[in-house]
Amino acid sequence: MAVLRPQDQLPGLNTATILLVGTEDALLQQLADSMLKEDCASDLKVHLAQSLPLPSNVTRPRIDLIVFVVNLHSKYSLQNVEESLRHVDAAFFLGKVGFLATGAGRDSHCSVHRNTVLRLAQAYRSPLLFCDLEVDSFRVSMAQRLVRMLQVCAGHVPGVSALNLLSLMGSSENPSAEGL
Amino acid sequence: MSPQKRVKNSQTPKRTSRHSNSYQSNLLAWKLKENLSNSKSISKHGQNSTVEDSEHADADELARDALQIAMRYFDKGPFNTPWNKDKTLEKHLKTVENVAWKNGLAPEGIDILLNVALSGKFGSAVNSQILRCMIPATLISEDSVVKAVSWLCAGKCCGSTKILFYRWLVAMFDFIDRKEKINLLYGFFFASLQDDALCPYVCHFLYLLTKKENVKPFRVRKLLDLQVKMGMQPYLHALLSLYKFFVPTLISISLPIKKKIYFKNSENLWKTALVAVRQRNQGLSPEPLKLMLGPANVRPGKRKWNSHSLIPVLSSSSHSKEYGKEGMSLSDYLCSNTPFPVEQLKSFLQLLQNIHCLELPSQMGAVLNNSLLLHYINCVRDESVLLRLYHWLNQTLQEECIWYKVNNYECGKEFTSFLDTIIKAECFLQEGFYSCEAFLYKSLPLWDGFCCRTQFLQLVSWIPFTSFSEVKPFIFDCLAQLFFTSTIYFKCSVLENLKELLQNWLLWLSMDIHMKNVMDNSLETTLSGSMKSVFELIHYVGWLSTNALRLESNSTFLLHFVLDFYEKVCDIYINYNLPLVVLFPPGIFYLALLSVDSSILNQLCYIMHRYRNNLTAAKKNELVLKIKSEFIFSSKTYQEYNHYLTAMVGCLWTSKPFQKGSYFDPEVFKKIGVAKYKTSLNLVHHPALLSYAISFLLKEWTEERTVNLSSIRGKKWNGYLDYLFSEGLQGLKHFIQSSICHSSVP
Repeated sequence: MAVLRPQDQLPGLNTATILLVGTEDALLQQLADSMLKEDCASDLKVHLAQSLPLPSNVTRPRIDLIVFVVNLHSKYSLQNVEESLRHVDAAFFLGKVGFLATGAGRDSHCSVHRNTVLRLAQAYRSPLLFCDLEVDSFRVSMAQRLVRMLQVCAGHVPGVSALNLLSLMGSSENPSAEGL
Repeated sequence: MSPQKRVKNSQTPKRTSRHSNSYQSNLLAWKLKENLSNSKSISKHGQNSTVEDSEHADADELARDALQIAMRYFDKGPFNTPWNKDKTLEKHLKTVENVAWKNGLAPEGIDILLNVALSGKFGSAVNSQILRCMIPATLISEDSVVKAVSWLCAGKCCGSTKILFYRWLVAMFDFIDRKEKINLLYGFFFASLQDDALCPYVCHFLYLLTKKENVKPFRVRKLLDLQVKMGMQPYLHALLSLYKFFVPTLISISLPIKKKIYFKNSENLWKTALVAVRQRNQGLSPEPLKLMLGPANVRPGKRKWNSHSLIPVLSSSSHSKEYGKEGMSLSDYLCSNTPFPVEQLKSFLQLLQNIHCLELPSQMGAVLNNSLLLHYINCVRDESVLLRLYHWLNQTLQEECIWYKVNNYECGKEFTSFLDTIIKAECFLQEGFYSCEAFLYKSLPLWDGFCCRTQFLQLVSWIPFTSFSEVKPFIFDCLAQLFFTSTIYFKCSVLENLKELLQNWLLWLSMDIHMKNVMDNSLETTLSGSMKSVFELIHYVGWLSTNALRLESNSTFLLHFVLDFYEKVCDIYINYNLPLVVLFPPGIFYLALLSVDSSILNQLCYIMHRYRNNLTAAKKNELVLKIKSEFIFSSKTYQEYNHYLTAMVGCLWTSKPFQKGSYFDPEVFKKIGVAKYKTSLNLVHHPALLSYAISFLLKEWTEERTVNLSSIRGKKWNGYLDYLFSEGLQGLKHFIQSSICHSSVP
């Protein structure tokens, strides 16, 4: 029942591991399948979890990116993510955490406001992505994006680090006029 | 206006509570008669009625009869003992409902039902049931609405019915044939704002109805009072900002400019029905005109338009009354001060002759498909026209956007072609619509970057000119997030469309400046503001490109798109006459300079050549005009350019690379095994040009066994240059001719 740390283990050779956390089992499973179908030079591993902490008696590879999936139609899903976040080491938030909100398309069904998730993501300084995972085509393009993020986070894109990507994605950090 | 209609009008105000008056029985009698004579299409009021088609005649006949009886029942039926007749009522309601959802109701039917629903003959449950099924076959007559409103005054119906009625009005607004008389009741509607429950719906209705002349100081005062009472509600806000738009002097309080959505669409009960009505109206239509100037577009039947298009068809209400008659000459139109129906507008000449009395279609969206009306919209001074169009676009974009209707997103094709039409209209007008911008604000964060990609990015390129820093958090930050996590192809198309955006802004600004020059002298402040905005856009693209190149491991393909963008940037001063020169960031310059692709190097040379021309032109103007412009021509820009130029000449020509600025320790070169590093980037040894040098040698001296690259010097060097130029490296040619003095051949 330990806190999850990014540097607990050594990285596997050419392996990139993503951990998807959320209450929507079926959707996570589908998302994982779509990700594994992506054409990618690295060896992809997808782990799913309902919530954190993860059981400590299992051996698992080093986790390069954690994505918390929030279903906007369920308050419980948000609570679950908020609970799980406590079991993540601060070092993870240097670019190795992402939030994914699903269900934003159907406004009328939402019980969690979009801004709530936005504030959550901002509080943890992590990018927030929107995608309706129920729709196949949207899920596939989201899987594509996650794979790209994962490759950067696993250090498989030369010259770009996870923190670097985070600073590019963060909307509050504007490039200064002299920054180039 | 037909004589009969006029009679109707004079009766309208008198009508209060009894329903068995002459007009209504007239209507029914007419309806019955027509039913008996079994005529197939009726065009009494210029609209086709519900009943048509003889194909499935029998079933239709039965349904029609049932409807007839139901209508008669509602019109004068035995209401003395309404609750005993529950069964009958139920049966008739069912009939009406079925017909309404299937084919819609004729204007006369709606007239009768509105009367019944609002007169309080039945309980509120029945009333709401009736209101819910009031779906027009094609159009709703204005008089029915006026009559219905008079019932509201009689106080016979309860609050919830009133609310439903207003919601119905808002939903059906586009299908009401004319609005003049309704507008005369503006005061009444405005007074209804007092009712707290009604207020949001009345506000929405007024938002649609308001014209400039309706904005009065006392109404503004009332609205402000309401706002104090109820707080800053979005609907009040909407109405206030509309008022402010019409008469800015009357409202001094500041309202946030960028507000997303004022009214919730999810409240529309008649969504699916509306789509059906729209399609029905389209079925009756002639072919829409193609977007083209001149009479060439008049040939009808040439092009098959998507029959399920979301865009309504042109129809103005007065069509086929007086003006529908054939044989009326143009001069007749001109003499009369009566409106000219848009359906008959076929040529540009006609547009010019009738521009003073053009009656716009009842459904504003129809103009998108009509080039002549787009011309009209472009030059008309009446803001309410544009406002109506924007409102319609807002609604439709939001309702139809695919990712808002996850359940039935098969209509993706429809939405795509709708976006295409909007973009075509924007291209035609060379102007972006504000509603599209608002739509982008709302939907970009939810966009997956894949569906309707072309259309979406094109919408981005038509964002109207604004302050960049203001729209950045809404649009460009979301775009950046997508950009950095998407494929290289997405990155390329984003850059391509940002180039378009820059071009649109520049064109708009260069036009705007010429116009302003004539009008006022306050140019200086606004111009520097606009230049700042353009500068920020270019800077943003520079930031995107530098990082994208890093992420995509310096892909040549991507670099092409980046340089394409800078080809636009480098010519701003000369091509658009705008005082702005922005250089590219070093991350792009050095990548291009050291690229192994000759076309990249060539493009870079061309861009440097254009920068030079622009900067020298700017300097010359500065000297001539003796005014130091405060804009971007700081000495820093010149220094930066000179620095780049030195680096380029040092590499390509004089074989003294990186003498100033970036210094490399010669030891490093020794270590990596490049002994003659000095010459290794000149025109002969540069990795992008090496193959040219070798084929030059092989071509000129075929008998030589070994190729000695360093033999290219002196006369041979000049020959080599000519060879390079003849191979199509025109950018290099321009650069060398303009930036390098030819005596310095090594």
